[in-house]
Amino acid sequence: MKRSTAVFLQGLVIENPLAIIMIGLCSALAVTTSVANGIGMSLAMTFVIVASEFIISLFRKLIPESVRIPIFIIIIAAFTTMVDLVMKAYFPDLSQAMGVFIPLIVVNCIIMGRVEAFASKETVPHAVLDALGMGLGYTWVLVGMSVVRELLGNGTILGIQILPESFQPILFFVLPPGGFLVFSLFISLNLFLKKKWLESPLGCPDPEGGN
Amino acid sequence: MIKSMFRLGITLALFASGACVALAVVYNITGPVIKTQEERALTAALKDIFPESDGFSDITKELQSSDPRIQILKAYAMTKGGSLIGVAVKASGPSYSSNAILLSGIKVDGTIKQVRVLKISDTPGLGANAANPGYFVDKAKKVTFTGQFEGKKVTDPFKVKEDVQAITASTITSRSLSAIVKASADAASAYISQKGGAK
Repeated sequence: MKRSTAVFLQGLVIENPLAIIMIGLCSALAVTTSVANGIGMSLAMTFVIVASEFIISLFRKLIPESVRIPIFIIIIAAFTTMVDLVMKAYFPDLSQAMGVFIPLIVVNCIIMGRVEAFASKETVPHAVLDALGMGLGYTWVLVGMSVVRELLGNGTILGIQILPESFQPILFFVLPPGGFLVFSLFISLNLFLKKKWLESPLGCPDPEGGN
Repeated sequence: MIKSMFRLGITLALFASGACVALAVVYNITGPVIKTQEERALTAALKDIFPESDGFSDITKELQSSDPRIQILKAYAMTKGGSLIGVAVKASGPSYSSNAILLSGIKVDGTIKQVRVLKISDTPGLGANAANPGYFVDKAKKVTFTGQFEGKKVTDPFKVKEDVQAITASTITSRSLSAIVKASADAASAYISQKGGAK
């Protein structure tokens, strides 16, 4: 397998930022109460990580070792603020629902971690592929969790009633403990996928990554 | 040593200015859109609360909040053919995670016409359900949290679990929002009786 493909696939399952590296969990557990929030958060987060890894990898030779962390934070914060402004202007409802979690992408450890561990040492194409892989890995876990939580906790998906009216929503799933339970189920699912993945000769039996 | 400090400082400043320029560009594009969005939301909300009104005037300075924690941001006298039909109050008060902003319409007869949530940043899926039109505190009658205030008398107690139904697992949000409605209603009815509007 080519290195670039490997870099991209890494983030999906084998090094999934949420289920394996287990960073950036706070906002992941908090926003997954509805599918719209989950999708919005994933898109915002994926945009910020791709843009930040791109810029930082592009300028990696100009960033002095001793002030790299402040520079990373400036770049990540700038992109996060852009996402926040764009969401406020064009998706006011979503922006209202997500509240403080969009500005908090700045301190999301996934971005900081990948930028520090990967983008600051690698070439631009690899950094972007790594960011896309991580972003997609984040997205499928987040959207999956929000589907389970909204369906069981509210009987709806994207606000549309799916389960019959007679179904009594299980509020537990929308509350924080339900978030932890669903998250642990996704960790198990991901570990299962990782095992299958590593056993297979291609290292990739299911290109969908269990979406 | 000093040389390297300068070099680091300048590098940092260059990155910061680059980020500033990029942000300024995005802000200049989105700023006016955000502003018109907010204005449109306000006029739409005022029209929605008092659809029969044909004009409104700013009376923010004439209203006083009865609760020190709750601030009246804006108040509008809603008129129809020149006579007062109600007051719309935009008030902000502390809620579970930060301040919430509500717009309440109070009719001249001393009842609440409608309450709308303009801003709330409480827990998504819990407190934030106050602003969710698909979340009902009374599932059978399809009454939303803010919907239950409709037709309530300004003189009612506005106490959660007495005359206000709470949002499940969000008692603090429910209490704070009720307090904001109550303060808005008090201020509005003081204005109405001062104008001799009550018939």
